[in-house]
Amino acid sequence: MNDLKIEATQSTPLIETDAGRGIIYMEGDSYPENSFEYYSDLVAWVDQYLKEQTRPLSLELTLLYLNTSSIKVMMDIFDELEEAHHAGREVTVNWHYDLDNERVAELAEEFKEDCSFAFNIIGQE
Amino acid sequence: MFAPDLYELRSRFDDEKILLCFNGPISRSLIEEIGNALRNYLKTEQASPASALDVFAVYIELTQNIRHYATRSGVSGADTATVVVSLKEGHYHISAGNLVRFEDGQVLEQKVQTLAKMDKAALKKIYKEQLRKPRDENAVSGAGLGLIDMARKSTAPMTCSLKNIDGAKGYFSLSVQI
Repeated sequence: MNDLKIEATQSTPLIETDAGRGIIYMEGDSYPENSFEYYSDLVAWVDQYLKEQTRPLSLELTLLYLNTSSIKVMMDIFDELEEAHHAGREVTVNWHYDLDNERVAELAEEFKEDCSFAFNIIGQE
Repeated sequence: MFAPDLYELRSRFDDEKILLCFNGPISRSLIEEIGNALRNYLKTEQASPASALDVFAVYIELTQNIRHYATRSGVSGADTATVVVSLKEGHYHISAGNLVRFEDGQVLEQKVQTLAKMDKAALKKIYKEQLRKPRDENAVSGAGLGLIDMARKSTAPMTCSLKNIDGAKGYFSLSVQI
């Protein structure tokens, strides 16, 4: 399957997928006006990967600010991971944040509340 | 030649501790540029990373709500936004206003007043409910999650006002304190 490599802009994060290793990287801020449209390729990729592959999937996130429509898209993706997890798939989210900014940890924490798979919130100096 | 009294304008900004003000048609790129200026300002003012992020988040939700409303409603002039960020008594105040259909303004006013009465736990509960609502339903009332998010971030109940312009239209403004 094709991988995605979407460069970061001021209002959108770097997005990279690696189907071979089962990893999605996202890094930066996310506040596009049209989040649902903007993330449709990523949502489709996750969908296809979970359907066609049997390998684990891990999300490596270094996201800082998400507007509410991006939060909704991320929740949709996490819901899909949750479903895969219940079906026996190995899924992990590692959310990296700067220890100086507790808001990012709080945001990740609220997502984590709704997920029963491995969801690690990792503070960095 | 007409020369606006900029000194008087500036004095008013100084008196009201306004650190950023914009008035005009707002575009996606303007939202980004002004947002960038706001972030840089907050950094030089040494606001804590958490409050800087809260101020930025409220600014984005307010201005994007206006953009979405202008597109969805088709109300002419609705995309002309007035945005003010001020710092008073240790709190940042982020306010934004635009033209709306008067009845849309009344619905918003009602929502803001309902949110203002809720405590943190109740706000979190409806935030999570809204997050779980199917997207289509959400697209119709786009401001749903954004308003609740701002109410959660606001350190005092959000305040709003609705001024009747000509019966059909009103000027709606919303203010959030961080």
